[in-house]
Amino acid sequence: MLRKAVAATAMTLALVGGALVASLPARAEEVLVGAHMPLTGSLGRSGQAFEAGMRTAIKIFNDASPRTKIRLQVIDDESTPAAAVSAVEKLVSEKAVAVIGGYGSNIIGPASDAASKLGTVYITAGAVSDELTARGLKTFFRINNNAGYQRGMAGLVESVKPAAVSIIASTKEAPILLARGLEKDLSAKGIRVTVHAFDPAITDFKPLINKVKLQDRSEILIMSAYENDYVGIIRAAKVLKPPLKLVLGAWSLATPKMYQEFPDLMNNVVGTSFLPFPVEMKDQEGRRFAEVFKQLYNKDIEYLATLSFVETTILAEAIGRAAEAGTLSTGGLAEEMRRTDRKTLIGPVRFDATGDNPLFSLSMGQHQDGKVVLVAPPAAATGSLAYPALPW
Amino acid sequence: MAPAHRDPRIPAPASGKPWRNAALVGACLVLAALPVLLGASNYLLGLLISALILSGIALAWALLGNLGGMVSFGHAAFFGVGAYASALISARLGVPVLLAIPLAGLCAALSALAMLPTLRLSGPYFALAILAYAQIFRILATEATGLTGGGAGLQRFPGLPTILGLDLGSRTGSYGLLVAMVALSALAYEAIRRSHVGTALRAIAHSEDATRVVGVNSVLLKAWMLLLSAFMTGVFGALNAHIIGFLEPAYAFSGLWSVMPIIAAIFGGYRTVLGPIGGAIVIYLFDQLVAKDLIAVGHQILLGLVLVVMVLIAPNGLLGLLKRRAGGRPHADA
Repeated sequence: MLRKAVAATAMTLALVGGALVASLPARAEEVLVGAHMPLTGSLGRSGQAFEAGMRTAIKIFNDASPRTKIRLQVIDDESTPAAAVSAVEKLVSEKAVAVIGGYGSNIIGPASDAASKLGTVYITAGAVSDELTARGLKTFFRINNNAGYQRGMAGLVESVKPAAVSIIASTKEAPILLARGLEKDLSAKGIRVTVHAFDPAITDFKPLINKVKLQDRSEILIMSAYENDYVGIIRAAKVLKPPLKLVLGAWSLATPKMYQEFPDLMNNVVGTSFLPFPVEMKDQEGRRFAEVFKQLYNKDIEYLATLSFVETTILAEAIGRAAEAGTLSTGGLAEEMRRTDRKTLIGPVRFDATGDNPLFSLSMGQHQDGKVVLVAPPAAATGSLAYPALPW
Repeated sequence: MAPAHRDPRIPAPASGKPWRNAALVGACLVLAALPVLLGASNYLLGLLISALILSGIALAWALLGNLGGMVSFGHAAFFGVGAYASALISARLGVPVLLAIPLAGLCAALSALAMLPTLRLSGPYFALAILAYAQIFRILATEATGLTGGGAGLQRFPGLPTILGLDLGSRTGSYGLLVAMVALSALAYEAIRRSHVGTALRAIAHSEDATRVVGVNSVLLKAWMLLLSAFMTGVFGALNAHIIGFLEPAYAFSGLWSVMPIIAAIFGGYRTVLGPIGGAIVIYLFDQLVAKDLIAVGHQILLGLVLVVMVLIAPNGLLGLLKRRAGGRPHADA
């Protein structure tokens, strides 16, 4: 009798429990996305900016997605190809559905190869070499490229019609590619271009600036390099005062951070940019990004964080669509990535057959008394170019 | 009479227990096969591959240091030359990769010919001179844009091929190839060590003047060791290039390829054959699997601490420590 009563009670409890579980909202599916970034070493600052943008994008996506939640795992690749490849293999072995790539084509190349061999989607905003897309990998995607930077910078230079331009370029892969591309573009427009390549180990730029001053006598100085190089070049130019009319640079230059750290060197310097500063977001997505970024990191959004926010948002959306369609575990993510066609904070993004974004183009921003004013192209301009105008 | 305390540089008598050596070789082979037999993940195999590449360079460095008596801070030069040579020979000349790799080793040995004048130097002067050579080769690779791609690097060159159905480009295939190459290098090292040449070299390391007095051509023998060490390093540079699939001067001639093998060899015990191999595997796996897990960013600090402790408690390296614990001789075999 007692046994029957216990059995009946157990069955009732099981049924009630089952009904309760069934009535609860479906548990969100958690998906792992991996990333490898240079979090230490000379590129550590860039890697950390990338990570901040990624985490902001993931938070915004997770807040808005009831069914799919993304967990981000970031590994320090120490700017070495072997560590980056290991990171990709580790992340994929831990069931990451996609990997977000680091910084530099020397790292992205081997790492994306490893991801391709493992059939995993790989997206990057940190490598501009054309070799990467020439490989024809089916799982490789990137949102920016050398051509976009080249178009933005060449457009501004052509608009002021200089007779001569000097380019000081680091021999590292991305800067030298950009310098050679600019040399070709500007020479074709009848502008005399002189390229001075320098070893990345150089810190004293006075000999190069002397060449610009005494030999080239150019009106515009273009720096195709990285943050520390910009500072060294402008500092040397400030001492030697070549007869220039404008100093122009590439990535990570027209940022509030550079002005805050080097106010005496940055005024009137021009660099590639997506957004003016103080940030004026015209759309809902941009405003939300700025708000969450401020909330998480207590600072204003910056250049590299914007790039990684865009790539991560695009990836997260494709993951959401693939999860919805039930194809996430059957190779559907790459297909969903290829269906991407949207406006983003860096302009339109659409991937071609090689995984490149042919629509990538940049605005040019000028430091003007603590603000970054977008000065080109005319459609994106928030102010006019100060020209001639120098930091000294 | 108490036995004399033996100088570690003095030649050690050949072991009288061949079965013990055979057992050691067998144990090493079983250890090497374990990851594949246990179905290790691509991640773990990838780490082991990187560790074996480091092992190969550490062995080459130790060969020069132990037998040649020369401390090099410039093995990155041979590594980079081997990497570029193999990539270019296979991509531009269409030479099969497995043939391009030893040819790349020869190119590295040829590049070492330029360093022969440094053999007149010794101690820190030799170390500094060879360090300068490494920088020169890096700058040459950067400037020779037409050949090397300059700072933009090389990306499109063949990977490791498939031989008899075994894809050497796969993690398992690459691992097997590297185990074989490290074993071959170790055998070559051991063969030289046991030969009369090895005896003469160790005597040179002990007292070069005294050895010359008895008619040994020390400069010639040291030159051969430099060329052999360069060849071995160039081969591992070539293997790494075909496994990684990308080359740029800053990476191929990175100072890490000079410093890490020194650390690995000293950690393991650079006066032994197995010490540099074991040292490279232990420190690389410790760094990537343990230190990186404990301190995700800045894990090298932990590795540095372990190295300091190791050097303090076991100046003869890991192998020396193990022998001492096992009640063996106080010094590892020279």
